[in-house]
Amino acid sequence: MNKAEKALYELNEMDELANGNSLIHHFSALIKLLVTIIYILTVMSFDRYNLSGLIIMAIYPYVLFQISGLSFTGCLYKLRFVLPLVLAIGIFNPLFDRHVFVVLAGIPVTYGWISFFTIAVKGILAISASYLLMATTKIDAICKAMRKLHIPSIITILLLLTYRYVSLMVEEVSVMTNAYHLRAPDQKGIHYTAWGSFLGQLLLRSMDRAKELYNAMMLRGYQGEFYYVDDQPVGLKDIMYFLIWIILFWLCRSVNVVQWIGSMFVR
Amino acid sequence: MIEFKEVSFQYSSERKVIDHVSFHIEKGESVGLIGANGAGKSTVMKLLLGLLEGEGEIRISDIPVNRKNLSAIRKICGFVLQNADDQMFMPTVYEDMIFGPRNYGLSKEETEKKIDEILRLLDIQDLKHRYNHKLSGGEKRMTAIATVLAMEPQILLMDEPTAALDPYNRRMVINIINKLPQTKIITSHDLDMILDTCDRVILLGNGKIVADGKCQDILSNQKLLEENRLELPLSFMYQKEKELL
Amino acid sequence: MHMADVLLSPTVATTMYAASTAAAGVSIYRLKKENNPEKIPVMAVSAALVFAGQMINYTIPGTGSSGHICGGMLLSALLGPEAGFLSMITVLMIQCLFFADGGLMALGANIWNMAFYGCFLGYYLIWRPIMKGKIFGNLDTGKRIVLASILGSIISLQCGAFSVVLETTMSGITNLPFGVFAGLMLPIHLAIGLVEGLITAAILTFVYQARPELLMDVNSSEKESGMSLKKTLGILTVITLLVGGGLSLYASSNPDGLEWALFGNAEEGYAENMGFDEEDYGVASAMADSAAQIQESTSFLPDYAFKNSDSAAGTTVSGIVGSAIVACFAVLLSVVLKLFRNKSAQSM
Repeated sequence: MNKAEKALYELNEMDELANGNSLIHHFSALIKLLVTIIYILTVMSFDRYNLSGLIIMAIYPYVLFQISGLSFTGCLYKLRFVLPLVLAIGIFNPLFDRHVFVVLAGIPVTYGWISFFTIAVKGILAISASYLLMATTKIDAICKAMRKLHIPSIITILLLLTYRYVSLMVEEVSVMTNAYHLRAPDQKGIHYTAWGSFLGQLLLRSMDRAKELYNAMMLRGYQGEFYYVDDQPVGLKDIMYFLIWIILFWLCRSVNVVQWIGSMFVR
Repeated sequence: MIEFKEVSFQYSSERKVIDHVSFHIEKGESVGLIGANGAGKSTVMKLLLGLLEGEGEIRISDIPVNRKNLSAIRKICGFVLQNADDQMFMPTVYEDMIFGPRNYGLSKEETEKKIDEILRLLDIQDLKHRYNHKLSGGEKRMTAIATVLAMEPQILLMDEPTAALDPYNRRMVINIINKLPQTKIITSHDLDMILDTCDRVILLGNGKIVADGKCQDILSNQKLLEENRLELPLSFMYQKEKELL
Repeated sequence: MHMADVLLSPTVATTMYAASTAAAGVSIYRLKKENNPEKIPVMAVSAALVFAGQMINYTIPGTGSSGHICGGMLLSALLGPEAGFLSMITVLMIQCLFFADGGLMALGANIWNMAFYGCFLGYYLIWRPIMKGKIFGNLDTGKRIVLASILGSIISLQCGAFSVVLETTMSGITNLPFGVFAGLMLPIHLAIGLVEGLITAAILTFVYQARPELLMDVNSSEKESGMSLKKTLGILTVITLLVGGGLSLYASSNPDGLEWALFGNAEEGYAENMGFDEEDYGVASAMADSAAQIQESTSFLPDYAFKNSDSAAGTTVSGIVGSAIVACFAVLLSVVLKLFRNKSAQSM
């Protein structure tokens, strides 16, 4: 599989997941989007040394993974893009911050290491939350929710149209890549003599396609408005879902639950 | 219903792509528009829809095709593009189907009823909520036709409706075309399909009308077809072979 | 260069969202005024193209590695800065939503770092002046395209990388001193920018030879229309000063980040090396004091008293024990739930 094929596979996978039928899939997209944003903001707001307080925030992805039946490994795979940068930046903390926080079993644990692990955990939590949103919500419903949040229609139109053509383009790139490597089996990438024409050819074809697309829109009376599937109206269960999570986040943010539980056992 | 009077068209300073073309199509007719690559078939279609502007006069249902009447013209004419991917620009089949009717001011309920009817007619109800980019070639073609039918056109223009389809899907599309009561103009190189769906044929060559007449007559004229870089349809070929035997 | 949510504090993330929203707002306004509906499908298809183009590996001659395109410069040369910017936003949204490449809350920062500079700076500062012959007017168009692509890519990537450093440091996520961090990021992105510039130049040259009318400002006869170079530079300087001033003001009200970066860790001798003295420098000033007070009272998170506290060991132990208990409970619960789910699946 070349890179484009992998991307195509991943796009398909997200589509299929979003088409699932779990309890989470049936909540309003607007509510899910809001809860996700608030969750990520809450996670981001934890102090960089507050690892024990942060841990309990895993409750949100944990519960959602359990209810939706999604697998956590699929989510772990998504970490490959941002985690390297996060870890690369985080790994300097133990080097520069050498105050000893606590000595455990004779091994000194420095503030640097605490903050390093805090960054890593935060990264995993934040990505799980956005993964859970996208794996349980269709893109058109998200666009509708974005419209309700007053994001300009041109952005959502572009997102919908681009989403439609992304898989098409990626597939063309994949076919072209395969065609290239069939005739240049020893090359790892595109040789510099073909740098311009490779994507350039596709670009020219795409501009023609955009023209056809515009024709197709005009022929069906396009006047600047797009119509999507309606997001379900926000019902009582959505409001309950929202409130429960917000209260839980607030509790976890203000009380160090894990430490509290621990302190009941350790006196 | 459709009137072409001395229509010419040329892209800047090139030779004329369409050169003084005139024809008349009655309501309910099925017309095959044939010709070699570059003969001007697509240009005729685009002129008819007002996507291009040429010289001469074009009228549809007595409405002259010009910039002012575009909205009315496009309500009457439905155009099925050759590449279904260009036609279907929304994420799902359903959203694509409501796009046209809603733009023409149909209410949500009416649109809903309309598209269900069409999906039933084409027997593709199961595709309603599928993603466009995940349909097979045959399914794409069917849904592209459905999106156009959703606008209830009186005239259907189809550009290569059977291109790149397997024999089964090709037959499905032919059956559907024959089921539709609208006035139809179909361009194709698939002359057997034209034979199965049309009663009249207009043969274009170098931007001019070379022949215009009954389907059976023109498509069985081997000499005329070969002069215009076309071939006898297979069914006539068999007939001829049988006669020789 | 995609930022993750965790590298940003909520304040920096929302600030960057605000900045990107403003830029998007201006772009949408200008596009609406242009009133060219034909542009929308072109923008969408171009965005899809750039996304797909990022899947291509370009072999860098003489090395074993390969380069990629980011696309900001390419899009603004094809569509103009405003439409290019919106297309680029769409690309970043698709990456963020479907591939988790860059976080949901970091999207604002990513749009700024990767789309804003490439589209606006790259276009107004580099592409248009060069293509209109204001600078390097003696070269032929083909050479000017190459030059503009390379310069534009390098400058926009440098700005983007610098913004990453600034945003991360201000968020107080890393202990990496500002100077060291910038010293790591900028040279790396100089190389990346050069490669991206070369690829962009190759693509735009191809387009220029095949269909020159697709490129912005190429062979346009109206040489004197639009802003002059002097004016462009002037406006950009003002914007830079405003943004820079705003950022430094913000930074002084949030000493946690920049302070750490600039004064570093006394143990490492960083402050001494830099010649800064914390006492005289800003932090003790009246303004910073009041800013710190404001921050204290409005802050989402009160300062945790962990540092140097005697009870650190005690709380740590209870923290670890607590985590262990919660983890055990979670594992048990998931086993039970799994059993339950299997059962209900069988009974159906």
